[in-house]
Amino acid sequence: MPRIAVDAMGGDLAPDEIVRGVAQASLESDIQMVLVGASDRIQALLDAGPYNPELISVRHCSAAIGMAEDPHEGLRTKKDASISVAARMVAAGEADAMVTAGNTGAAVLAAAKNFKLIRGVKKAALASVFPRQTEYPGQDALGLLLDVGATIRCDAIELTQFAVMGSAYARRVSKVARPRVGLLNMGSEESKGGDVLVEAYKRMKAPPQLDFVGNVEGNDVTTGKADVIVAEGLLGNVVLKLIEGIGEVATTVATHAAQDSWRWRIGMAMLSTGISRIRDLADFRSYGGAPILGFESICIKAHGRSTAPAVKNAIKVAAKAVRDRISPEIAEAIAEIR
Amino acid sequence: MPPTAAPDRAAMPPAAAPDRAAMPPAAAPERAAITFRWDLDKTYLRTQFESLRQMVKIPFEAGSDKVHLPGVPQLIRGLRRCAKDRAERPYVFFLSASPPQIGNAIRQKLELDGVEYDGIMFKDQLRHLVRGRWRSLREHLGYKLGELLDSRRAGPAARREVLFGDDWESDPLIYSMYADILAGRLTADATDGLLRVLEVERGAIARVVRAVDALAQHSEVVLRIYINLERRTPPGRFHGFGSRLVPAFNYLQTGASLHQLGLLDDTALRAIASALVADAGYNGDRLRNSLDDLVRRGHLRPSSRTRVIRVLQRAGLSGPAPHEAMVRARLAAAFERLQARWSRSVGPVDAPAIDYEKIVREWADRGADASSPSAS
Repeated sequence: MPRIAVDAMGGDLAPDEIVRGVAQASLESDIQMVLVGASDRIQALLDAGPYNPELISVRHCSAAIGMAEDPHEGLRTKKDASISVAARMVAAGEADAMVTAGNTGAAVLAAAKNFKLIRGVKKAALASVFPRQTEYPGQDALGLLLDVGATIRCDAIELTQFAVMGSAYARRVSKVARPRVGLLNMGSEESKGGDVLVEAYKRMKAPPQLDFVGNVEGNDVTTGKADVIVAEGLLGNVVLKLIEGIGEVATTVATHAAQDSWRWRIGMAMLSTGISRIRDLADFRSYGGAPILGFESICIKAHGRSTAPAVKNAIKVAAKAVRDRISPEIAEAIAEIR
Repeated sequence: MPPTAAPDRAAMPPAAAPDRAAMPPAAAPERAAITFRWDLDKTYLRTQFESLRQMVKIPFEAGSDKVHLPGVPQLIRGLRRCAKDRAERPYVFFLSASPPQIGNAIRQKLELDGVEYDGIMFKDQLRHLVRGRWRSLREHLGYKLGELLDSRRAGPAARREVLFGDDWESDPLIYSMYADILAGRLTADATDGLLRVLEVERGAIARVVRAVDALAQHSEVVLRIYINLERRTPPGRFHGFGSRLVPAFNYLQTGASLHQLGLLDDTALRAIASALVADAGYNGDRLRNSLDDLVRRGHLRPSSRTRVIRVLQRAGLSGPAPHEAMVRARLAAAFERLQARWSRSVGPVDAPAIDYEKIVREWADRGADASSPSAS
């Protein structure tokens, strides 16, 4: 059974929600988990709710990197930070994967510092799942977008590697036999988007193992046109935050409208189930997490505001990624396009 | 295996409620004796009574149908053997709120498990039914406390006692009250007041109060109270009962704590761990995590944990965590053992000051739903 190191101190709601998430996972699965953080606080939180002690161990460490802290500085000065200790445990083989809801920059840097890149991979990519429409029955309601912040700018080779890694991940984890891959661009034509994107388009068309569906525009992101959408980090992050923001805005607007008029109130009451579904769909806290792809070891980055169910889901995603041998799968796919 | 001493209480006519003044005084403590008192359902047996269907099945079950919790027969056998090795006379009593009609099956089961015992007390529900005492049917708290005190008075008054219960009913409260009554911290009047708040039946209260009055002398008898967290009740809910009460998720945790107290040896501990591995699918990680959990909760010293890990390691059942520097841990353990030797005491390490009024108030507020004690 996989052993997952969980950064107990990382995240806006840490350690409370992280520890609760681990406790929930211990009651619902047989995954071995190591909570990394301040052991006294962790045990006090465990004591307050039901948990299975047989699946939980605690690795004490005294420091944590704050969400707003400079990741470089944090990792440099706090050698005993929970995120670093968790990454070191994975690197040393004491855990099979790590999960963190902490500072994204620190997560990427800790992984880069401790994990080896898969042979041939130029840069690692941070992936994220996002809600979308489905085009056919059985299609996963979540799409995969990468990179969403591990990089800023990328070249065509790197984007192609992202496509291959994302496709391999979706194939294994989302069980999509042949994931459709799209390149985020400002138009659907092959010639759009400048030299890098044009070159990336050409490269992505070539490998037979990629089901490349061409360029994907902004309005196609949330349709089921592509299962995996590739972008450089700057663009991917903007798109991801935009989707997240729209969900929040829709809920806020609906709430305000209902306050202003009794007609709206009645209307909103009638639509409440639908609105609640939209809110749930757009609520990234409930999705668990997504991987940093490209390393030999697995790191699942959960949303910074992850609540206990999201942490539990992130742990399950990590265990699944280990069990399904994601990294060897990616290594094989990368080797094929070299 | 037949009972070795006192006969089953259920087989005897129910003790008539004697006059308060007429109660004979308790026997003087038997110096070289130790009593282990066990609840049956959910503590020894994996009894399923969550649904009506499961409840209906129980009276028709044979001994071979009954299932024990992993490691518990090994624990009891180990406790008896180790007590004898220490030249201490062991007594094992079972106390159940189940009716005596299931007695045969229970006795068969204990025989199958090779567990020697000195008495089983059942609750004579039929008698209450015949007399139309409906409240008595449901009332466990007064019944159990009364039985414990009567058993102490009528049976062997061992110098030390260890109690085993679970988190389904009111064992934490009953056992703690029993321990504090024996220690003289709960007087007859205080006990009477608490039982009234808990709305215990008047006859049961009178019986308990008479038994408390009849105690000739008080001493710290109860070493530990082990509560099997069968329902996975959060351990924090038991903080109010003090460190004398040890909530345990499995019988390795219970065994490790008893090993630390010197009541269980390496062989018994190995047998318990082996049973968990063979019967319940435990592996090395699970065993080690269980011990670490007990250390974090303050019920097991790190040095004791190191000793247990070594026992398990020698048996090929578990071992230190990959990152553990065992040499350093052993040095620390040796130092801690030296310290412990200088201030050794196997008695109750701390007599807890339990705020019974608070616990009982909360209990009563919840409508006497004794299933989830909150003594945090």
